[in-house]
Parts: sequence; C-alpha cells; structure tokens
Amino acid sequence: MKNWLFLIVLIFINKLSLAQNENAEMADIMRRDGKIYVVVAVILIIFIGIILYLVRLDSKISKLEKQQ
Amino acid sequence: MEQSIKHIWTLLKKDILLEVRQQFSFYGILLYIGATIFVIFLAIEDPDTRVWNGLFWIIQLFVCINAVAKSFLQESQSRMLYFQSVVSPQNFVFAKLLFNSLLMLVMSLLSLLLFSLFMGNPAEQLLAFTGIVFLGGWSLSLVFSFLAAIAAKAQQNAAIMAILGFPLIIPQLIMLIKISDAAFSINAKVPLTPVLMLVALDAMVILLAAILFPYLWKD
Amino acid sequence: MDAYMNKWWWKILAVLLLVYTIIAGLLFDVPRIQILNETIRNLYFHVCMWFAMMILFTISVVHAVKYLRTNNLKSDILSRHYAVVGIVFGLLGYATGTMWASYTWVDPNNPAAASFGAIAREPKLIGAAIALLIYFAYLVLRDSIQDIDKKARISSVYNIFAFAFLFPSIWIIPRLLPSLHPGGDGNPALNPQDIDDRMRLIFYPAVIGWTLLGVWIATLKVRLSILKEKNLLSK
Repeated sequence: MKNWLFLIVLIFINKLSLAQNENAEMADIMRRDGKIYVVVAVILIIFIGIILYLVRLDSKISKLEKQQ
Repeated sequence: MEQSIKHIWTLLKKDILLEVRQQFSFYGILLYIGATIFVIFLAIEDPDTRVWNGLFWIIQLFVCINAVAKSFLQESQSRMLYFQSVVSPQNFVFAKLLFNSLLMLVMSLLSLLLFSLFMGNPAEQLLAFTGIVFLGGWSLSLVFSFLAAIAAKAQQNAAIMAILGFPLIIPQLIMLIKISDAAFSINAKVPLTPVLMLVALDAMVILLAAILFPYLWKD
Repeated sequence: MDAYMNKWWWKILAVLLLVYTIIAGLLFDVPRIQILNETIRNLYFHVCMWFAMMILFTISVVHAVKYLRTNNLKSDILSRHYAVVGIVFGLLGYATGTMWASYTWVDPNNPAAASFGAIAREPKLIGAAIALLIYFAYLVLRDSIQDIDKKARISSVYNIFAFAFLFPSIWIIPRLLPSLHPGGDGNPALNPQDIDDRMRLIFYPAVIGWTLLGVWIATLKVRLSILKEKNLLSK
C-alpha cells in the first residue's frame, strides 16, 4: 500500500505534463460513441434551469426595489 | 511614550492587586488544573509520549480559556466608562495582554509541574520543553485575551470564546505539538522555524489587538 | 456602491463562462495520468469551489474593514452575505473534495480508508475546515448580539481578526503535516507547474465564472435584506 501511495505523490511532485502516461485508462469509448454529449446536455439543461431561476429572482427583486 | 508605559504599568498593577486581593479566582483556576489532571490521571494510566503530549496541550488550551475569560468580563460597564476617560484603548489592551501573559505563564508552569508529578515527564530535553511550554502558554493567552474582549462585548460567557477561538488556535497547537515531539527525544534538535513562526504569529496578534481593540471598546 | 448589483453584463459573463466550463471541461483533451484518469476534470469544478470561497471571504473582510471605517450598515449587510455564500461554496468544496479523494488517493483495499476520519486528516481539508469553522463561529457571534450597531461592529472585528489567522493557517498546516494531495507540500493549483497549459485555458475562466456566480447570489441576498430593512424603517 505504501508503494502505491508513494507512486501518486511522485506523479504529482513531477510536472504533470512530464508525468503523463499514454497508457492511463480514459473514457475513450464513451467519447467515440458520442454518448459524452448526452452527459454534457443533461448537465447544461440543469445548469441553465438553475440560472433561469436566479434570473427570475433577480428581476423580481428589481421590481420590488422600483416600487419603493 | 513614557506616559503610556506609566499607564500600562498602573493598569497592570491594578490587575495584579485585584488578583492578590480576590484570591478565589486564582485558586479556582488552580483547582481546575488540579482536578482535570487528576481525572486524566485516573482515566489513563501511564500514557505513552504522544498521548501525553496531546493531552498536555489540550489541557493548556482549556486552562487558558478559563484563566483568561474573566479578564474582560470582570470589568463592569461603569468601570469601563471610567477607563475610557483616563487611558487610551491601546494602553488598556496592552495591559490586559501583559497581565494575561503573566497569569498564563504561572499557570503553564504549575500545570507542567502537576502533569509531571502525576503522569511522569517524558521530556528528555527538559529545559527546551519548559521553554516550549512558556512560549505556548504565551501564544494561547494572547489569542484568547483578544477573544475574551470580543466575548465580553457580546455579553457572552466562556463558551463563545471556545467557539471563536478553537479554529484560530489549531495551527499554533499543531506547531506546539510538533516542536514538543522533538523535545521528547534525546538527540532530536528542536526545530527553529516553527518557533519563529509562533513568535511571528504572536507579534501579529499584538498588532491586530492594537488596531482592532479601539473599535470594540467604544460604545 | 451598489450600482453593479443591478447590472446584467457581469451576470451574463458568469453564465457564459460557466457554460464554457461545463462544455470544454467535459469535452476537451486533458493530460492522461494514472489513477486520476478522467477525474482530473474535477479541477474545473472542485478546485474552483475553494477559489470562489476564498475570494468571497476576502470580499467579506473588505466590507468588514469598510464598515469599521464608515459605520455604514450596508457594508455590514454585504459582509455578512458574502460570508454566507462563501460558506456554501466551502461546504460544496469539502463534500466534493472528500468524494474525489476517496476515489483516487485512498487505498480501496484498506478498510480504514473507508472511514471519513482517514480523509478528514488531509491538511488541505483541515485548512478548509478551519475556514468553515471560523465563519460558522462568525454567524453564531452575530446572532448572539441584539443591538444592530454593536452586532455589526463586533462581528466585523472578529471577521478581520479571524481572517488574519486564516491565511497563515492555510499556509502553515500543509507544510507541517504529511499529505497525499497534489501539489506536494505547497498550495495546489497556485503553483504554475502543477497544471497543464491546456487545463489552464479552462481553469482560470472557470474560477472567474464560479466566483461571479457566488457574487450574484450574494448580491441577491443583500438586495433582499436591504429591502427588508427599508420596510422596517418605513413602518
């Protein structure tokens, strides 16, 4: 276990770009299938929804401020 | 300059005189130290050095809160008004810091003695460790003196001092425990950098107290 | 002082930057590193929470100083709400930090690592926990005082005093305790060597975007509480 932890620390102490390892497993298949776009779309919809809520709140407060 | 030293000295003398006249509070803290150490003595037989170290500093922390808490709380509102008319806030807070430092140095020494008596003293470099204890007691007393001023203004008890102070004191406490660790082995040298950092933090507290106390004091 | 609160341009900028962060953060190339793998993309989300938190706390302290100088209660309201939003970002950062850590640098075969205690000992998380505890204490202190002016004055003093301690602790603690966190024994992501150029292109806009979002939420809260105060006064 110690060696394993040591390895991680080593990787970080070195410059990340130097420590790059082409063999590191990435979600390449997901990217090739294009399914990653589904994830992006879902997150964006949720994010935009929250932002729209904030915008509505903002304009409501602006209206209240004008009434005063 | 000369006048402010005179003011600080007078205020300090007044606090010491009060302490000598009303001995119950001094003995109260003494009893607090004794009782806590006795409870720990019964709860943990023969702790190893790391446990000893941790317990010692935690006890110092609680002793400090109890010793320092009353310094500002004991001043009634009318007395504060009187002080406001005769001395500057800086002199007042310096006198308090000085008094609390002295008090805490005495308390640190006593709790070190009691700790050694009941649970033995694992420090191999006794002189260095005593120095660390004094430095630690001083650091703790400075931080908590200022927090006592805040707590007194908020008309709160010692509990809020603990809430306000614990997050602030963590780095100093960790440093103190680290330095003490070195004093526990014969051939390890006590590292100088953390000691200097502690002193620098103490200087920062004094500076902040001088800058911020005037805002606490005016009503 | 509050003219910027009603402007839209910086809010639109915040949204654009964050949309860019999400799209580019998930799609663009990142360095291939063992163990981190795809989770390296968390840099754009988790690390930004810390940056946003520190920036919001800094704004809070600036307003606290302003209050002590001018005695304008509005500065106190600003100081309070920036602190609250900073706490929200801090909690999010803490939660995402423990999550990320438990999947990357904790040994899955070691049952002790499954406990929260193994992760909470991490120096960076200790620093973050100190920051959170300080500002929780700040809120408790505020609520314990009745008089409005006194509340503002005393809590501003504590805010400044505590903040002056926060920076040394964040700097000192990682250098005292052993850490597995990227960035070795310094402060990660601040060191230019820590991150790749490609990542920097997304990381810096992401920090600005998340911070602006925090500022936006804080200003909404500030405007609401100013409205409330005015209502109280006019009655």
